[in-house]
Amino acid sequence: MSNNSGYFELFGLPRKLWIEMGALEQKFLQLSWKFHPDNFVNASEHERELSLRRSSELNDAYRTLRDPVGRVEYLLGIEGARKEGEHKQQAPPELLEEVFELNESLDGLREAKAAGGDLATLKLRLESAEKKFQEKLGEVDAQLQAAAREWDAALQGDAATRKKIMAKLNELLNHRSYIRNLVANVQKELL
Amino acid sequence: MGRIVGIDLGTTNSLVAYLDPQTGQPKCIQGPYGSTLCPSVVSLDPDGSIAVGEPARRRLLTQPERTIYSVKRLMGRGPADIQDELKLFPFRIDPSSKNVIRVKLGGKVFTPPEISAFILRELKNWAEAHFGETVDRAVITVPAYFNDAQRQATKDAGKITGLEVLRLVNEPTAAALAYGLHETQRGKVAVYDLGGGTFDISILKLISTSDGDIYQVLSTNGDTHLGGDDIDNLLQAFVHELILQHDEIDFSPHGELAQELRKALIDVKHQLSESETATLRFPLPNGKVFIHKFTRCALDALIRPVVDRTMGPVKQALADVQLKPTDMDEVVLVGGATRTPLIRRTVQEFFGRPPHIELNPDEVVALGAAVQADILDQGVKTMLLLDVTPLSLGIETYGGAVAKIIPRNSTIPASAQELYTTGVDNQTGIDIHVLQGERELARDCRSLARFTLRVSPAPAGLPRIEVKFLIDANGILQVGAKDLRTGDQHSIEVQPSYGINHSEIERMLEESIEYAEQDFAERQVIEARTESESILVATAKALANPQSAALSAEERAKIEASVAALRESVAGSDYKLIRKRIDELNRATEHLAELLMNSAVSTALEGRKLAEV
Repeated sequence: MSNNSGYFELFGLPRKLWIEMGALEQKFLQLSWKFHPDNFVNASEHERELSLRRSSELNDAYRTLRDPVGRVEYLLGIEGARKEGEHKQQAPPELLEEVFELNESLDGLREAKAAGGDLATLKLRLESAEKKFQEKLGEVDAQLQAAAREWDAALQGDAATRKKIMAKLNELLNHRSYIRNLVANVQKELL
Repeated sequence: MGRIVGIDLGTTNSLVAYLDPQTGQPKCIQGPYGSTLCPSVVSLDPDGSIAVGEPARRRLLTQPERTIYSVKRLMGRGPADIQDELKLFPFRIDPSSKNVIRVKLGGKVFTPPEISAFILRELKNWAEAHFGETVDRAVITVPAYFNDAQRQATKDAGKITGLEVLRLVNEPTAAALAYGLHETQRGKVAVYDLGGGTFDISILKLISTSDGDIYQVLSTNGDTHLGGDDIDNLLQAFVHELILQHDEIDFSPHGELAQELRKALIDVKHQLSESETATLRFPLPNGKVFIHKFTRCALDALIRPVVDRTMGPVKQALADVQLKPTDMDEVVLVGGATRTPLIRRTVQEFFGRPPHIELNPDEVVALGAAVQADILDQGVKTMLLLDVTPLSLGIETYGGAVAKIIPRNSTIPASAQELYTTGVDNQTGIDIHVLQGERELARDCRSLARFTLRVSPAPAGLPRIEVKFLIDANGILQVGAKDLRTGDQHSIEVQPSYGINHSEIERMLEESIEYAEQDFAERQVIEARTESESILVATAKALANPQSAALSAEERAKIEASVAALRESVAGSDYKLIRKRIDELNRATEHLAELLMNSAVSTALEGRKLAEV
């Protein structure tokens, strides 16, 4: 039922966060030929079951590893280091002020919408805030990439270093999902 | 083992095809009426027998209350889903319908899969008559944007027919497969598929590998209630309004007259694909003939909203994989409705390249299904299809929100595991609600199934049950669960929200065999004889009419010879010969039919057969 082999192992890859996409795709296609249920239509029920399991696992693995963020999430999961923020709804300290402003603008827009007031200025403010947070998202992604490189470099390193990098990756992921939710909320109001 | 075929179970027409081993090319099988298209129309005779296809289509005009078309629109849907369709389609829904719709035909009640099964059986008969062998397995195509319930209903229809459905293949993917045989295409392909009742767009990547060619679907989108039918509805509403204004005739939208008008308008629509103008001449019950000249321009303006509605899904499918229209190396048009010049032009302008239209857009999906059927049947593989799930799979969480666990456009088979535990001590059940769709709230998504995980009493949080949600290669959900503490597999009885359960399918299979008992060929002979009967009567009556004096001796002799030949063929049991003789007699009596029409109506009835006058 659960993953028998890990996603990295399935593709014959070390648990590194930098993956060469072309090679990943080639391997995916090659394994698809091997596992796909179309090849087992006339096989025994047991073989058909097995094919369904292996090919779904392959597709799940490819979908996860292809996505840079999904890949980090998965790695932390199998390393037992993925911890979602304890205070999910709380803003990271360095963003506090901006988030406060943003929420005010959002409330303002909702009120103005309800009262049928002028939306143009509020929308403009929200749009610029959205842009700012999109930039933040870009920054977090860059930090995530840097931390991923650190991880790869420390592949043979000591446990303490690796643990520290994992904690950093975990924090960045939480950070990222917080900003993403924020952006999604703004986009919803702006629609 | 019997033969394997590919079937396109369409909203308007259905087709059956196979791979010709001699040529290596897929081929559609012709039915007894000389066409590869079997109208997706089913009619229940007062004597309890079922007519499918062409004969059923004729009954749309004479016995609309015993006849149904476009049943695909009802597949996998509940009564609440179809309120909009009911305004436009003459479906007669039985009040006993709960989750599954039940349709009335005459005095009997059928589910949509049962009606689809009649169509599948007809196609199976066509193929068996063609091969002289049994057909027991099939690949059936479905719209790419069909959800789990709609796919399950299609598979059920196959089961009721007694066919093993080896695979449900998405229609645009099948079309790409059919084109792949014709020419070597590489790179990215957009397939725009506007059928009778459904619209799909799929973006594919064609890859050559050392093992063979891979057709990888990158993304798909669509609308399962948008198609050529909608164009016909717009035309019909437009003309109804005109007739109401000019002649003050307000005919019920679903009666015989409406069906006749619909048929006439479809002819007009087809003519406008070829020429710039077409004229509708429609005899009204008050003796007048309603005449309206259509231009292609006016038609374009009328159907523009339908064409515009297709472009949203097209843009979404591209956006999902971060591609631009100009990134496409090829564009393929599928479905009869894409013959409409406005659609061709719109697609060409959007993608900036002329679309492929080499293959018959009515046949291409069935041809692709035949290719896939052959691939599945063969041991040696030269081609592989990797398709995706069109809709995200989610589970309901706290507060009616949906957590997406398998995103749309995931390559299938695909799966996701979720871990469940209890919230209070000695809780014995955990309720799980599975949904499909992109919206954030459960109530806005499509409910697929609800089930309860049974747990033995234990302190809260102690039970650990892993539930695996798997979408198989047909795009259909399977659920399994494992108790992580004991390692036991849980059996889960998933009651589909809009499906038929297994015992019902068994019963339907048994019942359908009763209908099938009448041999196909025998039924064809009976139908051909009935038709000859009416044409022979009509001919005798016409020859007795004083107007027939204007016939030349030669014409009269030709008619008499044709009558004799038809009578002779009716004595035998070769239905193809009877049909040929009917056609001959129809041709011989063309002039006679003209003579008999009174001048006012004659213009409206040009080209009609004698039996119809």
